[in-house]
Amino acid sequence: MILTVRRYGNKGSRYERFEVRSTPGMTVLDALFQARDEQDDSLAFRYSCRGAVCGSCAMLINGVPRLACKTQVSSLLAKEPGPKLARFLKDDSAVMYDGSKEVMVEPLPNMPVLKDLIVDMTEFFSKYQRLNPWLMPREPEPSREYPMSVAAVRELEKFTDCILCGACYGACPVNGENAGYIGPAALAKLYRFRIDPRDALGGSRLKKADAPEGWWACRFYANCYHVCPRSVPPNYAIGKARKELRSEKEAGE
Amino acid sequence: MEAPIHYHDVIIIGGGLTGLRAAVACSTAGLDVAILSKTHPLRSHSVAAQGGVNAALSNNKSHGEDSWESHAFDTVKGSDYLADQDAVLRLCEEAPRAVLEMEHWGTVFSRDEDGRIAQRPFGGAGFPRTCYAADRTGHNLLHTLYEKALALKVRFCEERFVTSLVRDRERCLGCTALDLSTGDLEGFVSKATLLATGGYGRIYARSTNAHINTGDGAWLALKAGVALKDMEFVQFHPTTLFGTNILITEGARGEGGTLSNGKGERFMARYSAKAMELAPRDIVARSIQTEIDEGRGVGNEFVNLDLTHLGRERISERLPGIREIAMDFAGVDPVTKPIPVQPGQHYSMGGVDVGSDCRTSLPRLFAAGECACVSVHGANRLGGNSLLETLVFGKLAGEEMVSDARGQPATEAGTIDNALISERGRIERIRARESVANQFAIRASLKKMMTDRFGIFRSAEAMLEGVRALEGLKASAESVGVEDGDRAFNQALVSLLELQGMLTVAESVALASIWREESRGSHFRKDHPKRDDERFLVHSLATLEGADLRLGTKKVRLGRFPVEERRY
Repeated sequence: MILTVRRYGNKGSRYERFEVRSTPGMTVLDALFQARDEQDDSLAFRYSCRGAVCGSCAMLINGVPRLACKTQVSSLLAKEPGPKLARFLKDDSAVMYDGSKEVMVEPLPNMPVLKDLIVDMTEFFSKYQRLNPWLMPREPEPSREYPMSVAAVRELEKFTDCILCGACYGACPVNGENAGYIGPAALAKLYRFRIDPRDALGGSRLKKADAPEGWWACRFYANCYHVCPRSVPPNYAIGKARKELRSEKEAGE
Repeated sequence: MEAPIHYHDVIIIGGGLTGLRAAVACSTAGLDVAILSKTHPLRSHSVAAQGGVNAALSNNKSHGEDSWESHAFDTVKGSDYLADQDAVLRLCEEAPRAVLEMEHWGTVFSRDEDGRIAQRPFGGAGFPRTCYAADRTGHNLLHTLYEKALALKVRFCEERFVTSLVRDRERCLGCTALDLSTGDLEGFVSKATLLATGGYGRIYARSTNAHINTGDGAWLALKAGVALKDMEFVQFHPTTLFGTNILITEGARGEGGTLSNGKGERFMARYSAKAMELAPRDIVARSIQTEIDEGRGVGNEFVNLDLTHLGRERISERLPGIREIAMDFAGVDPVTKPIPVQPGQHYSMGGVDVGSDCRTSLPRLFAAGECACVSVHGANRLGGNSLLETLVFGKLAGEEMVSDARGQPATEAGTIDNALISERGRIERIRARESVANQFAIRASLKKMMTDRFGIFRSAEAMLEGVRALEGLKASAESVGVEDGDRAFNQALVSLLELQGMLTVAESVALASIWREESRGSHFRKDHPKRDDERFLVHSLATLEGADLRLGTKKVRLGRFPVEERRY
């Protein structure tokens, strides 16, 4: 198979094709390793767990933001349909590729590229940090655990499952247009604290993103949910948060 | 160019659970602490821990009232009596507090019907005492501690690869680190330094570990004159996914999963009739490997882990991550089909030699978590005790560093300046080398050799050949260069620096394994199949003298629990 990689570095940007031996069960991450190990040790990409839990290797694969370690080469070459996404790339890739024998790998959109597939996630993380994403536990602190129902855990898990890989941020058309938009992952994290029964802040948590570039910027394309490798639904969190804020405002009027 | 030098009260190398927990302790005490991590902290291998964390909370009373003493006994017995008992008592006594603290800070644990933290049975444990967050316990704990560290405004220096610890005659002064994003070498000066870099699992081919687990901390310690302890004890997890060796949690068996061979026999009955699938990991791993080696595996490669009788609902509730892994990486839905599994390297019981206060032999240098050997796991770690160790000993290391760093004057930069000059020279020489060998091929050979010769079953002959092979690999690594001419994100350079450490860390595993002529816990010698307390109820120590490793021993701290034969 051919692995086509968008390279970026001192010499500017270019597409480079690597011929890779495909093996059973090979993932895009495996293919990248093979190209690096055998052909070009300067090929740069982030990696760690290779089991879809650490969030290092989100990148644009055949035009879809996803984890390289979780994406099977064989399913790409078989042209298994990926998620249906609203248009989110400002310009489609300029390079044509033959999807039956070629896999196209590019850096995650909406973040500055540092080298090859490595993007600068500073902005992504600082938007998240600005929302004070940590529990502020209710007083008094119990001597044992805070009691929590199985149902509450189930609701929370939808959002605590987020691995902050940034795939949603790369897939969001709003992030593409509006660099200030906080983005789906950070909003989902904020909502996770809103619904935590142990948290002391309650509804006032939502105020942290009650701004044009927060909850209200979303246009519900749902790309975030469709590309999420952990099936986290930021769009659902955003809808719930807006509804709560709206009814609070109506009640106050 | 003048290299920047950063000053902090405390430097923590490694941003996983141990490093974060230590940082929280230091920051809470008002110290200026920086975490240096070669990845973003959330990419640390702690994130991959699945099954849970042990604490005698007694929430699940299906086996009566649990106690921390009973947890300690299980841990010491599981260790095949090589653990230091004072450290184990501390680990287990602190466990309930450590788990409840994480719950109070935000970890979303799975719950029982009464709203308490749910607990499941795990291997080698007399009570169901493993607290869990479905099968994503490490992920949940890591995110909570990262959030806590953010709240405390801990300084994160991400994508920094530490190339050396800096010391004078008496003490550790800090470290030198490569900023991966620029390629610049920087100095970090501290009053206390913690190694929290995780294990060395990637010296093996079949490993559940993240690619980043290359034993960097062990190598840094060796170079600084600090010993490695019990390196021969490498844990092989019984159930890793056939093909990729991604972990399939012990929780799958804790929830009732069964193991069967190619003939459909539930073979654990032959090896551990009482505990069956929930015998400790060393025993289950050897049993599976024996089935495969004797031709009773499936296609001579794996055995089946069957969850189908648990039903879709229970699998989705308790083991959703396992279901995803099996579907995504093996094309198998465990709701309808068994999961193909084989043993694989999983955990490094050995590590940097520290006492139960996490202090190394070098003043102001500490180590904790998987990179250290306290030792609470001895010759075999029980499932659910490693997450616990990160929390308990991360906190303890942090507190010890606070007491050292308080009131200390800032260190002078002179020694760091010299270290920067010599490290920069070393790195420039590596970059200038003409490359005649491929570093990735050397790494692959190392991993295969370690899996073949220092795996579940070991013998002198095979291991001695392995040592000879290692010498060859070390020699070829000297003639490897870096093709990548960039300074920014020169991953080839970092991989090569990792490889140098991996080769020596592997050598320490090799030498200690050859020396230990007995079978204990995870270390099984076909040529010495019995435990030999008279000669070997002792820790091994490996130190670097010049370019050579030397072996010594250290007393095991026994105590409350008398040494007995280990039966399950």
